[in-house]
Amino acid sequence: MVIHYKCPNCGGDMAYDTESGKLYCDSCGREDNIENFPEENIQAYFSEEDGKEYHCKNCGAVIMTDKDTTATTCSFCGAGVVLGDRLSGKMAPAKVIPFKISKEEAMKAFKSWARNGLLTPKGFMTADRIKNITGIYVPFWLYDLNSRVRVNATCTKVRTYTRGDYIYTETRYYDVYRDINLDYVKLPVDASEKMNDELMDKLEPYNYRELKEFKTPYLAGYIAEKYNYDEKELLPRAKSKIEQYIHSYIDSTITGYSTVRYNSKNIDTRKVNAYYTLLPVWMVYYDYDRKEHTFAMNGQTGKVVGTPPISYGKVAAWFSGIAGGVFVFLKIIALAMGGGLW
Amino acid sequence: MRKKIILILILIFSIGLNPIEATPQKQRVYDYANLLESSEIEELEAMAEKYSIKRETDFVILTTDNTNGKDVVKYMEDFYDNMALGYNKPHGNTAIITIDMQHREVYLAGFYKAETYLSDYRLDLIRDKITPYLSNGDYYKAFSKFIKLGYKYMGMEPNVDPDNILFNLWFQIVVSLVIAGIIVGAMAYNSGGRVTVSQGTYMDFSNSKVINRRDNYLRTSVTKTRKPSNNNKSSGGGFGGGGGGGTTSGGHSHSGSRGSF
Repeated sequence: MVIHYKCPNCGGDMAYDTESGKLYCDSCGREDNIENFPEENIQAYFSEEDGKEYHCKNCGAVIMTDKDTTATTCSFCGAGVVLGDRLSGKMAPAKVIPFKISKEEAMKAFKSWARNGLLTPKGFMTADRIKNITGIYVPFWLYDLNSRVRVNATCTKVRTYTRGDYIYTETRYYDVYRDINLDYVKLPVDASEKMNDELMDKLEPYNYRELKEFKTPYLAGYIAEKYNYDEKELLPRAKSKIEQYIHSYIDSTITGYSTVRYNSKNIDTRKVNAYYTLLPVWMVYYDYDRKEHTFAMNGQTGKVVGTPPISYGKVAAWFSGIAGGVFVFLKIIALAMGGGLW
Repeated sequence: MRKKIILILILIFSIGLNPIEATPQKQRVYDYANLLESSEIEELEAMAEKYSIKRETDFVILTTDNTNGKDVVKYMEDFYDNMALGYNKPHGNTAIITIDMQHREVYLAGFYKAETYLSDYRLDLIRDKITPYLSNGDYYKAFSKFIKLGYKYMGMEPNVDPDNILFNLWFQIVVSLVIAGIIVGAMAYNSGGRVTVSQGTYMDFSNSKVINRRDNYLRTSVTKTRKPSNNNKSSGGGFGGGGGGGTTSGGHSHSGSRGSF
């Protein structure tokens, strides 16, 4: 099933516009609210060979997709199409955060980010070598988790005092117990096989106030993927993401002691809810020095992550600059203390 | 070509302006015990002159293998009085090292400016550093170290400890490199974007809390150790020594540090 948004005015192709948050027609400028877009203009086509091949109903060309694609643009006529059958049933997303940063803004932001990189080589991003920039709705699971934590620890308070010729060390032992309830809401875990987990983790946080009920028109004009891992498969990863948080919360509840030794930490984390959510990401592929560099930008907040090339010249300059500065600073301190220059 | 001519002209001029004065060479090395070779004496003389001018204090080296029954301190004091040592005037600023080969003793002393800047404590530090060379018979090295350390310590205000680690060149270099390494390392590590979520980002504060807590006192244990005594000030290391300054028969007071080697 291919879904295609036709302009009720002129019949042109409509796509989601980041600025207005509406469907926008490029040829006549008409804007339509996503909530009340006329049903008759959503053209859904069912083809017999569904699941194998999709045809663009605008121009008839075969739409190039791989098995995970749920939305794309026709590579011949450029019309944004949504593959509806891959977004229904179990595959229906619950929520979406629409793109807020347009392609042009994303390009500009990438370039200035690379230029401002303190260690990136000078020529990086000045030449127009951006190979490819793609707006992708990446599938995530947003987990609501509840953790019940029961800890038992032996703690001590140490006091030293002097009486006569002796120094006394007094150690008081305590049996400490904490029963803690922890709720974490909407913890995102990337559910796409293709996306690098570390990269996706660094894109956080998203602003959840703009989290919307999922509607297919948001995808018009972008690429979207479906999840490769369901909420059960990714639960362990969600748990590992909050593990460190839980430990530091436990530490924060036991205060006032000199030493803390944990005898047992019983952490029971359960899933309360999991929402299949599409989050907006700009992916940029850039060739530099015969190597491809991949960057990702949070399509809502504009945060950029990725590994830029590092200029050894700049590293050396910063290193010697800081070392020299600190050295001079120490010399000035030594001189101020009356220590002489050498 | 023109540059070369200008350079030569400048050279000739500078020579013409600063005629090398034929001042009579002041003696600063008195090697009565013949511990040094003549070339070493020449080098030490040159070095002593250079640093003496910079600190306006004569660095004097005195060795003997016969003190005529005098104590090394008395021997040095009489020598100072008789020779009227001093950079700025007779009986003036002088830092002097005396080697008594007969009793294998070393005495360091500072007069006037050197008495202020080379206190007993500082002379102790210098003596600790050069005694190993003396014990090994490397007198040239010991004397040149005496001059250099004396010069260095006289560049520091009298009330500071010259052994303060902040004044140590290697300490300064290492600290600079470590700080630069940490900062640049952090920059490189963060160049790919930082993690900006923390413990509170996804936590629901209204429901996250301690439901039950218990802090039960179990027992107390007490250990005692004897107070370390404070009266083991060490001085002179394993070589023995110490001993401060004094006043010569001629009435010139001085700082001092004494030891054997």
